[in-house]
Order: sequence, then C-alpha cells, then structure tokens
Amino acid sequence: MLKMTHLAKVYRTEVVETYALRDLSLNVREGEFVAVTGPSGSGKTTFLNVAGLLETPTGGQYHLDGEDVSKLGDDARSRIRNEKIGFIFQAFNLIPDLNVFDNIDVPLRYRRMNGAERKKRIGEALERVGLSARARHYPAELSGGQQQRVAIARALAGTPRLLLADEPTGNLDTQMARGVMELLEGIHRDGATIVMVTHDPELAVRAQRNVHIIDGQVVDLTEEPRFHGVHAEARQASA
Amino acid sequence: MHFGPILSAMRRNKVGAFLIALQMALTLAILCNALFIIRQRVVMMARPSGVDEANTFSLSNQWVGSPEQIGAMIRGDLAALRGMPGVVDAYATNAYPLRGGGWSEGIGLAPNQKHSSAHTARYFTDDHALNALGAHLIAGRNFTADEIRERSERDKAQPGVMIVTKAVGEKLFPDGSALGKTVYVEDQPIVIVGIVDMLKTPWVSNAWAEKFVENSMLDPYIFISKQYSYIVRAQPGQLDAVMQAAQKKLFEVNRNRVIEKVRSYAQIRADAYRNDRALAIILGTVSAALLAVTAFGIVGLTSFWVTQRRRQIGVRRALGATRRAILAYFQTENSIIAGVGALLGMALAVGLNLWMVQALEMQRLDLLYVLCGAVAVMLLGQFAVLWPALRAASTPPALATRAS
Amino acid sequence: MFRYYIWLALRSLRRNPMLTALMVAAIGLGIGASMTTLSLFRAMSGDPIPQKSAQLFTPLIDNWGPDQREKNGEPGQDMLTYTDAVALMNLHAARRQAAMYATGFAVMPTDPTQNPFQADARATGADFFAMFDVPFKYGTPWSAADDEARADVVVLGRKLNDKLFGGANSVGKTVNLDNHDYRVVGVLDDWSPQPRMYDVMDQTFGEVEALFLPFNTAIGRQMDIWGNNNCAGPTVVDPGFEGHMRSECTWVQFWAELNTAEQVQHYRTLLDGYAAEQQHNGRFHWAPLTRLYDVRKWFDVQHVVPDESRVMVVVSFGFLFVCLVNAVGLMLAKFMTRASEIGVRRAIGANRRAVFTQCLVETGVIGLAGGLVGLALTAVGLAGMRALLSKDMADLTHLDLIDVLVTVALAVLAAMLAGLYPTWRATQVQPAWQLKAN
Repeated sequence: MLKMTHLAKVYRTEVVETYALRDLSLNVREGEFVAVTGPSGSGKTTFLNVAGLLETPTGGQYHLDGEDVSKLGDDARSRIRNEKIGFIFQAFNLIPDLNVFDNIDVPLRYRRMNGAERKKRIGEALERVGLSARARHYPAELSGGQQQRVAIARALAGTPRLLLADEPTGNLDTQMARGVMELLEGIHRDGATIVMVTHDPELAVRAQRNVHIIDGQVVDLTEEPRFHGVHAEARQASA
Repeated sequence: MHFGPILSAMRRNKVGAFLIALQMALTLAILCNALFIIRQRVVMMARPSGVDEANTFSLSNQWVGSPEQIGAMIRGDLAALRGMPGVVDAYATNAYPLRGGGWSEGIGLAPNQKHSSAHTARYFTDDHALNALGAHLIAGRNFTADEIRERSERDKAQPGVMIVTKAVGEKLFPDGSALGKTVYVEDQPIVIVGIVDMLKTPWVSNAWAEKFVENSMLDPYIFISKQYSYIVRAQPGQLDAVMQAAQKKLFEVNRNRVIEKVRSYAQIRADAYRNDRALAIILGTVSAALLAVTAFGIVGLTSFWVTQRRRQIGVRRALGATRRAILAYFQTENSIIAGVGALLGMALAVGLNLWMVQALEMQRLDLLYVLCGAVAVMLLGQFAVLWPALRAASTPPALATRAS
Repeated sequence: MFRYYIWLALRSLRRNPMLTALMVAAIGLGIGASMTTLSLFRAMSGDPIPQKSAQLFTPLIDNWGPDQREKNGEPGQDMLTYTDAVALMNLHAARRQAAMYATGFAVMPTDPTQNPFQADARATGADFFAMFDVPFKYGTPWSAADDEARADVVVLGRKLNDKLFGGANSVGKTVNLDNHDYRVVGVLDDWSPQPRMYDVMDQTFGEVEALFLPFNTAIGRQMDIWGNNNCAGPTVVDPGFEGHMRSECTWVQFWAELNTAEQVQHYRTLLDGYAAEQQHNGRFHWAPLTRLYDVRKWFDVQHVVPDESRVMVVVSFGFLFVCLVNAVGLMLAKFMTRASEIGVRRAIGANRRAVFTQCLVETGVIGLAGGLVGLALTAVGLAGMRALLSKDMADLTHLDLIDVLVTVALAVLAAMLAGLYPTWRATQVQPAWQLKAN
C-alpha cells in the first residue's frame, strides 16, 4: 500500500541544511494499522507530510498503491490526496465557517461528485462517527472529541485507501481520546489502512505494528502483527 | 523607541507596508492637485465683478417684427424704468459683466495697427450706466447726455469719447495716465474721458478671456438692435419687487416684445461660474472620499496586523512593555510607512501636475500645497492608526502564557 | 463547482462583515466616482452621427492672413464669410452641402391673448436634413427651389410644434414669426445630437434650434446673427447688413457630405483652387491656407470636451486606483487570515487551480457587490452633477444601459485585478505548513 525506499527530506535555507528525514524506508501493507512514534523533532510530522503527499521528498522513492508518487506534480498529488488519502489532524482542522455537513462535503466537492452521491456519503460518514444529529452544527458548537469525529467523518467520506492520523487524540482528554481511538480501531477492522503518528506509547500499543523514528530514520519496529494476522514487513534502514 | 524591530517586522510584511505607502502616496498626489484646482476656482469665483451685485438685475428684451424707431422705444423704456419707485437707475446695453457672451474689441494706439494694443470687452452704455452698475469712476468724468448716440451692430464706429477700466488704461499706457489720451477703435480716434476702477468682461470662466478679464471699455452708444439687455439697479432691499414690477411696466409701455432671462446678479454670477463651482464641488467630494477610503484602509490593514501579532504583543507586554510603548510601536511604524509614502507622493504630485500642465493647460502646482499635503497625509496616518494601536496596547500580558 | 465557489464566497464575506464592507465600499466609491465623471465625459466626447461622421466635412478658408493665425499656424477662423460660403455652395462639388447660421424669432402665438415668445432658429440649406439624418415626424424638408426663391417656409422642431399645434400634423399651416407668415413644410421628430455637431462654436451641447428656415430666406430678411461673429484682421466693414455680408467677418457654418476618399481629395483641391483664385484676384495677399475637417476631427480642433471634464476623469480614476490599492491590501489581509483553511483544503485534495478559482470568485463577488454599490453611487453622482451643471450639460448626465453594464463589468474586473496578487499568495499556501503550525 505504502512503500518508502531510502526517502530523504532536506530543508535548505541560505545558511543551513536540515535533514528532517534521512534514508527512511518503510513498507505498509494494505489493511495494516501502523503507529509511528518518536521523540519530538525526530521527523514524525515530516514523515506524515511526505506520506500524505503534502510535501515532496528530496530523495528516494515513494510508492503509494503501486504508483510512484515521489515525482508527481502539484495537480496529480492534489488528486491523489483527494481520492486515496484521508487526513485526521491533531487540531482537527475543520473549517470554522462551514457546518459539520459542509465540512465533510469539502473533499467530495473537489471530486466533483453529484449532489445525491455526496449527500449519501456524508450521511453514511456521519452515522459511522455517531454524529448524524449534529450535521447542522458548526465546529465551535462541538466538543473537541466531537470535532475530531467530524474530522474522521470527513476523512472517511471519500472512502480513502489510506488514513493518515497525526496525534489524533493529542488535543483531547482521556475519555474523548478513548472514543476516538475506538473509532479508529473500528475503521481499521472494516479494512482501512491506517498510519498514525503519536508520541503516546499507550496509544501506540493499540496499533498492529509500531515504527519508531529517530533523527529521520526508522530504527525500531514491532515484528508481530497483533490483529488479523496481516503480515507487515519493514526493512531496517541502513544508516 | 527602537527602529530596529519595527523595520525588521516591516521587512517581513513588505507587501502590506508597500501597499499602505503606495496608497498614501497616491492619496497625496491626487489630493494636492485636487485642492490646488479647487482653490484656484474658489479664488476665481470670489472675484468681484465691479457691479453692485446685491441690488442689480438684467433682463433681455426682444422686439417683435422689425420696428423702425428702436432708439425712441429704448429711450421710452428707460424713462419708464428710471421713473419706477425703488429704481436707482437703468440703462440699455449689448452685454454686461459675467453675462457669458458679448463683444470683444481691440484698441490701438494708432489707426490700422496690425495687432491691437489692448483686447477688451465692449459695452454700449450711456450716461446712466456707471450709476446703474455701481461702478466707481476713479479719474475723469462720466458721459454727458448729449454725447450719447445711436449705433446698430452693423454700423461703423464714429469718432468720439469713451470710458475704460483701470486695467485697460494701464495696458495701453503703462507709464502714465490714459486719461485724455486718444486711442483707436475700429480705426476711429476716440478720447478716453473717464477711468473706472474695475468692471469685469462678460467672459469670466474662460481660458481665452482670462488674460483680459478686467479689460472693459464703455462706449456712449444706444444699441439699436432687435435684441438687447436692460440693466436695472434697485434701492437696497427692493430688488425682488423691482424685478417683478419692471417686467409689468415694460409690457405696459409696449406689449409687442419678448422679455427673457430676467436674472438677478446672484443668478448671473451663479450661471457664470456654474462649471467652476461644479468642478470644485466634485473634486472636493472625491477628495473627501479619498481621505475616508485611505483612512479606513489603514485602519483595516493595521487592525489585521494587530490581530496577527497579538501573541507577540502579549509576549512583549509580559516582558515589561508598557501600553505606551506598544502604542508608540504602531505609531512609529505608521510614521515610517507614511514618511516613505509622503516622499513618493510628493514626487507623484509634482509629476501628475506637470502632466496636467502639459495635457490640460492647468497651472503649475504651488509647492506649498505639496508640503501641506504631505503633513496632512502623515497626520491622517497617525489618526487612522490610533484605534488599532490602542487595541493592540490593551492586549493583556497574560496572552503570552495562554496556548493559541 | 462554480456555484459552490459562489456559495463559499458569500459565506466568507458574511463571516467578516467589517472587512467586506470596507472592500465593497472602497470599490463602490471608486467605481461610483469614476463612472459619474466617465459617463459625462463619454456623453461629451460621443459621436452624435457615427454612421456618417467620417463623411461630413466642414471647410475653412484663411481670409484674414498670417497675422491672425493661431500660434501653431492653423487658421484663426472657425467659420466662413458669407462670400466664401456662397462661393462654395455655387461650386456644387459635394453630394450634399449646406451653409447655415443661428438666428431667432419672436413667435406670435395663435391665441392673441398670449404674449409672444422667443424661438431660436437655424437658417440653413435644404440638404441639411438629409446630410445630418434628421428624423421627420410630419412632412418633408423644403426644396432647393424654396431656398433659392427665398420662400417663407419653415420646419418646426417637435417641441415648438407641440406648443403651437398641440403636437398635431401642422404641415401646410402657417406660423407668425416676427409679423410674417411662414408655411410649415415639415415637423421634426425628437432629434438631439450631442455635441450639436453642425455648430459647436455657438453652443456645444444642449437642444437644437426650435425651428429651421431656408438660408436665403433669412438672408433676404436680413435676420440677426445670434451665433458667433468674428471680424478679425484688417477688415473694412461697410455699414448695414449688406455691408456685413460683403465683409471679411466669419459667421457662416458650412457642411459638405463627401462619401469617398476621392471626393474628399477632389474637394480639397477645389478649396485650394478657390483660395488661390482669391489670391489671384487680389483679395488674399497670402498663399492659400484651407482646411477640411470631418466631424470627429472638428470636435478635436474645437476642443468640445472641456478640460474640466478631463480633470474630473483623471482625478476620479486616480481615486479608483487608490481604492483598488486599498482593496488589494484588505483582500490580502482577508486571504491570509484564511491561510489555515486554504491549507486544509489543499491537504484534502484541492489543487492550486481550485484555490485560485475559489479566491478569484470571491474577489469577483466583492467586485459585483462593489459594482452595485458603485451603480447606486453613480446614479447619486449624476443626480448631483445635474444639480451642479448648466442645463445644456445636465441633459448629458443620464445613465444608459451601456453605462450600467460598463459600471458592473469594470467593478468586477477591477476587483479581480486587485485580487490577483492576494489570490496568487493564497495559492502559494503549502498544504503541509498548517499541519505543523498547530
């Protein structure tokens, strides 16, 4: 599903070069639930940006769903983000001007779906996250947990192949975090591939597989898949 | 106040700062030129005509058919008008100051001159004209009754006497008095017997006539024409009554006429300067709108910056910056931008004026306007920035410790 | 998708009403001021007879000599002498031609209890009406023979016909003008060329004359010249109207219709030939100087659009520019506060074009709103102009459909132009940044 080979990301300014990722290789199989952990500044977020096609790698290769996406242009990357990837952000990133329904509608609009289809999908996604009654509410009128569930509904509405989550519970209290986590696990059980970045070990252990990033490299991984027995494989990066 | 942090903040918001500076520069350029033009027109409109305007009116008289005895009919009308209660005096003429149309004529110092020595407006008048106009004779004498002759538009001039304005006298004889001198009009010798202080030409809002706007000559002629004007001066406070009564009186004397354009001098003045007034008002309105738009633009953009930098301001406050310091920060920032805008605007103002001088026959801009404009625009900037700056200054220091 | 963007734009504008109001007001004010002055300028610089303005010519002949010429060497006169006008008529060198001058009457009403009233008139040739495409409501122009025979015939303007005959067909009836009876041969329909192309010296804008009569009839009656009359140069004017007709004073306007370039060239040659002949006869002591101007060129030479109007246009467009600079700043601020939203949209799959379109549609909506405000302000501005300007010019200040369309289109275009840079900046928002920022 997701295959990174010798991936590098360098930020250049006039004076310094900063390696956010160096020679990172990772393979995530279809249907896996992978937690990516690592200390602050280790390159987790850069990894997620690259994985989500928000940034282009400066070196190495990245195959998503069998397609080499490391050299794609802006339009093609936008299309893939829209069709194949769902994002769940730590800060929810809902658009405050739009109500729940319209927020979930955003990715579908860019897919130029017809009105009936969009309505159906939004309805299903809302039901999935248990917020059907809140469709006309605005983000500001919802609790943090509810907002995150809307964000998840937005990610689900487009039926993405890959779900990327960045500290999805980072802004939530324990109880809300548990609810969100259960939701993610349910989505995974339904067959979605999920890659989740977190620094919370408690959260990480609930994933099938753990990947640890330090200094922009994958240095650790849990071999044994804990659920469903789907085989995961990732190569140790050669430093 | 340290300029360093302000300048580096501006460097990070180049476009915003540039837009405000540009806007202030353009405002300055337009404002200076507009105010300059407005002032010119206002000064022009305030010029006296030489007529006792408060008490005087004119009406246009047209005889029906082609009467033979127009001279006698005019004399009859004038006698009737002068005999009316409330009338100071009256006379008949081809044209009058501020009328808008009239007869221009060259005066020569010798017969058959190639170019005339003075260009003037020509008024056909009589011995009552000076009194009816309220014009001040400053040298020489008025016409006498027996000097008044009849002349139709198509007649030739006859040798005789005339009265001119001071401006004509000075133009013809810069080194001495024109009184008693013989000059030539239509190649006929004419003696200047009187000089009046001032009397404007009929054309007061006209670039062509501006050069001789105070050059008027008065001929002792009854204007024999189907169409001409009466000028009537009323006793103070009786203008309206006399304006009504005069028309009635004239129809009593002879019904076979058309009376048109009965205008008080207030009306004549308004008509004469109508387009100047319009230009001044329109430019004034646009200038006011311009100032408002620029001021609100600065308020809007500065507010945006304040919102953007709220956290940073909170940190500054937490680190000990006083409200005054924050206020001063935004005021200094605006001064720097406005200063740049003012410099640019001064150059633009002069450039715009030079272009208008060339393309539209405008006058050269007085540099004092540019300087005053620059000060005004900088004050405008300070005024506009005050509200957002005060809002910034009221940022609580506690903001720094709160998560965004 | 476009409807979605419009919907988004309206939401976004509602969200920040102060900023929206500032932008709409800025654009509305700028557009209102510009369109007010522009519509007046357009009316003044308009072509009253576009289908023929390149085929109608007015000739000038320098009969005063080099001393009276303009500084740039152009002839000092803007009309012809009676002598030259008659001579040109007699050349019969144009398809249509007419000499003319402004005059007037005291009209005797049919009701004897009413006072006589004044009516301005134009003495002109029979070709005048066909040459200037003058519309007739009743009857026809007089004939060339009528003109030749100094017949007492008139063509009434519509207003005068309304006043005298209640708007009925008055052809064949008589009107009493200055104690003479004239037979009505035609009544004009509404006709109001602006500028009054055939005589811009006398009165540039405003109504046409109340009635028309044959040139030679007016000359025969020695009717007063109500228009300009210039007697420059070393000229000897004999007394009386006949003396004036023989003089070198210019007071006759002359127009000729020339349909092809060859005809124009031929006419120029004839004009020069005529002036050369006058030199040969000893009337002119200088080499021929003649001019032949078509309508538009004539308007330029005569400076029919006053400088005041140009100043107003320059200043108000300068103001519009300031308003746009202002709008650029405000839009930039507005779009930048939405950087996070744009980042999210980008992450979710909007490409740059989608962001670009969304922002541009928003600026277009601002422009549209500004245009509507501007339209209202233009109407107010023109009402103000009407109150301020003289009646002749006030009649020019109306808003036609084209003005309305131009106003709205200009506003939308201006707003989008102003929005171009802020929109571009919005498309540069990186989808990844906003993920990190939080």
